[in-house]
Amino acid sequence: MAVIEGRPRRGALLPWFGALSGTRGGALAIFVGRRILWMIPIVFFVIVITFFLMHQAAGSPWDRTGGRQLSQSVIDNLNAKYGLDKPEWQQFLIYVWDVIHFDFGLSYQYEGKSVTSLLGEGWRYTAVIGGLAFLLIVPVGVGLGVLAALRQNTRVDYATMGFATIAASFPNFVVGVLMVVVLSVTMYKLTGGSFFLPSSDFALDDHLIMPVITLSLLPIAYTARLTRASTLDTIRQDYVRTAWAKGLSERLVVIKHILKNSLIPVVTTLGPTFAFLVTGSVIVETVFNIPGIGRAFVVAVESRDYPMILGTTVLFSVVIAVANLIVDVAYVFIDPRVRLT
Amino acid sequence: MHVGSGFRAIALASAGMFVVAACGTSSSAGVSMAPNDKQIFRVNDGTEPNSYDPGQETYTYEAAVGRNVFQPLLTPKADLTDVQPAAAKSYDVSSDGLTYTFHLQPNGKWSDGKPVTGADFVYGWQRLLNPALAAGYVDPFFDGTVAGAQNYGSIDPANTSAVDSFIQGLGLSAPDATTFVVKLQHPAAYFKWVATLWVAAPIRKDVVEQAAGGSFASTDATKAEMWANSANTVIGNGPFKISEIVSKDHVTLVPNTNYWGGTAHLQQVILKFIADGNTAFSQYQTGALDQINVPVADVTVVRGDAVLSKQAHLLPELTVFWMTYNTKRAPLDNADVRMALSKAIDRDKLVNDVEHGTDKAIASFFPRGMNGYDNSDNAQSFDPAAAKALLQKAGITVDQLSKLKLMTRNTTNSKTLNTFIADQWNTNLGTNIQLDVIDSKTVTRNIRKGQFDIYGPDGWGADYPDQQDWADIFTSTACHGLNFGCPTLTGYDDIVQKADTETDQAQRNKDYATAQKILIDQAAVGFIFQQYEYDLWKPNVQITNTPFDDEYVPGDQNYNSAYISA
Repeated sequence: MAVIEGRPRRGALLPWFGALSGTRGGALAIFVGRRILWMIPIVFFVIVITFFLMHQAAGSPWDRTGGRQLSQSVIDNLNAKYGLDKPEWQQFLIYVWDVIHFDFGLSYQYEGKSVTSLLGEGWRYTAVIGGLAFLLIVPVGVGLGVLAALRQNTRVDYATMGFATIAASFPNFVVGVLMVVVLSVTMYKLTGGSFFLPSSDFALDDHLIMPVITLSLLPIAYTARLTRASTLDTIRQDYVRTAWAKGLSERLVVIKHILKNSLIPVVTTLGPTFAFLVTGSVIVETVFNIPGIGRAFVVAVESRDYPMILGTTVLFSVVIAVANLIVDVAYVFIDPRVRLT
Repeated sequence: MHVGSGFRAIALASAGMFVVAACGTSSSAGVSMAPNDKQIFRVNDGTEPNSYDPGQETYTYEAAVGRNVFQPLLTPKADLTDVQPAAAKSYDVSSDGLTYTFHLQPNGKWSDGKPVTGADFVYGWQRLLNPALAAGYVDPFFDGTVAGAQNYGSIDPANTSAVDSFIQGLGLSAPDATTFVVKLQHPAAYFKWVATLWVAAPIRKDVVEQAAGGSFASTDATKAEMWANSANTVIGNGPFKISEIVSKDHVTLVPNTNYWGGTAHLQQVILKFIADGNTAFSQYQTGALDQINVPVADVTVVRGDAVLSKQAHLLPELTVFWMTYNTKRAPLDNADVRMALSKAIDRDKLVNDVEHGTDKAIASFFPRGMNGYDNSDNAQSFDPAAAKALLQKAGITVDQLSKLKLMTRNTTNSKTLNTFIADQWNTNLGTNIQLDVIDSKTVTRNIRKGQFDIYGPDGWGADYPDQQDWADIFTSTACHGLNFGCPTLTGYDDIVQKADTETDQAQRNKDYATAQKILIDQAAVGFIFQQYEYDLWKPNVQITNTPFDDEYVPGDQNYNSAYISA
């Protein structure tokens, strides 16, 4: 999307916005508007793929993992109740029609509850944990990276990169469980009180500490390594040498000349990082028993709750598309050479 | 309280066994009760219930709430030998065994203070049997029991007039406010147990219709369930009522002060929804839960811990596991081959090495703690030499057996167990039988279609502690539905049908014993072990347990007598 140099093309999809394209803000508005319209076909194809993959997967929502299986007459009645007795293409058309009317259907797992209300209950947990993790990732990751680059081949560098390597190689379900064992269980045994009790009456308080750390560890490591490499690259540029030669203070050189230029590749990865936070919530919420949409998605897939699987997937895809859009827009403010089309 | 011959003597041996297993838990006199503000019991329910409408509840984690908030007509005695009064103070059976008349508790009340009437039971049972509501646990009510319900499977759930006439034609009636009458399709001595199921609860028509905003068509499943999601509208007749529902986290029960049997001691029962066993275990250790089921992986941790090991309890469940042989495939159509495989498994070694001794070996069908338990037939007991001799007699070579695959669910538990069992066969019979590990959903599809050689561990947990609930599994009509190996068993269908409609308890016991002998001797399946629960609860929790298949919430039937000691 980002084109360096040149004038932006007129928005073919939105000719009536053409008048706006003369200004930089106008170009941005067209770009954003067009990307939002593009989300409609994206969501449609996400629904197509998810719908047919989901129905292709073995098993039905009425399977029991053990014990008494439902009898055929009960299964027939359930299929009729939820419209699963119709051919698949009809079910698909009905679903798309309902989605156009913002009706995502009723969950199979929770009798009489709509997918929209279930996602409404869960999203704030996922958003708060993801948001806090995101706030942690940028300063910590970038800070560690810059520090390591400025002190290249010293103990600081080795320690930082050693930490980043270790953090990047531990999967988050291991980190989460380890933290529970060490901080909660062992502390309780030693002191009779425990830190950050996992999710007993989950609330938005100190229960957040462990899940947020667990979720952000890998992106922090990744961001730190990327920032270090990018900063090392920038340090060797002629304009930085010039800045030093002019006798500018270290503070000014680092912040104004090095940091700003070395951040561009980091910003590029923030979109995927955001996607990772959303998908990572699936595991973290399961480990810490957080009632967010990540866990709801896992449970829905396990029990073949078709409307819930589709609803969650659509929500995830919209969130990720919006995150990428924000990143693209952020380029404009970081790199003056970037023009949006 | 009941008509018909007593049968307590038969069950004494098994009941005794259960009492021994559970003796550490019974609330003995002399233990003083903690003050009311300490009467809070926090237990892990595992998963959030689908619904708080008892008729829609099919899993144990759902029944755990339903059994406490609603009360069926009867309830099992603690030793499971017979039923005892619950919402009905007594019942009569007509001499032909076809009509059950339940006399309700004269002071039975709903949590809002209104009296529980026979009409409430008629409405609750009509909802349960309404095909449009598609209740998951309805089978015991249409399958050979309630008159008129035998057509359940052939009613179009979208056709209002068909559904209406089906519901009105059911053999359910309330001649007066305190009487509820059920007519049966044929005599069924086990019907008293069906009346103990949590789904057989009364439901208030006025509450349902108010939540739906007026009366609605019998086929409108959405309106019919609108009452069942809010603590305000779930009005029950049980010892507890719901005070708070926090979706995905917990549900809180408080005493129903209008309950006919007196107010419960526990002032709050908090059922948490923690799906991950390890998370629950760490919460128990940090004091956030009072009772949990120990994950198998943590059993050795508990045993090695000085404090935890004293809080552990091993309780029998009415659940038996077996290996299912696909009898439609050679050479498993030969009973001698099935018997050889069954005799080549060292069950004691299995429960000790793989299950850490938390389950018990069994080579018979009806579990310990239930009517009909009898392990005297040792035809399937471990005996590798006899197993080899049987193979020779059948003329089956080791190579033929080695072609068989053991279909295994892709779960740690199944893989560990089946690896051990295949190893037993390969060691004791010299075969080379391999596992076929497939994802769980595909396994379920395959067993229903009969696409496997050997499958396990397969099993059954009691719906109610009567042999009928078990024996029916292996009838030929249940092929691919409840039993997946579809064995053709000489004389089995006849004896089970005779026992199911027999009203004399002594004769029933005799017939079911014959049925069990057929299953064992013809190696319908290879019985392996009975499941036990390994639970932890704090020393101040005083609770009695019944050995029901409640893997998440032990003792869920007795919260009204449970308490926290000082």
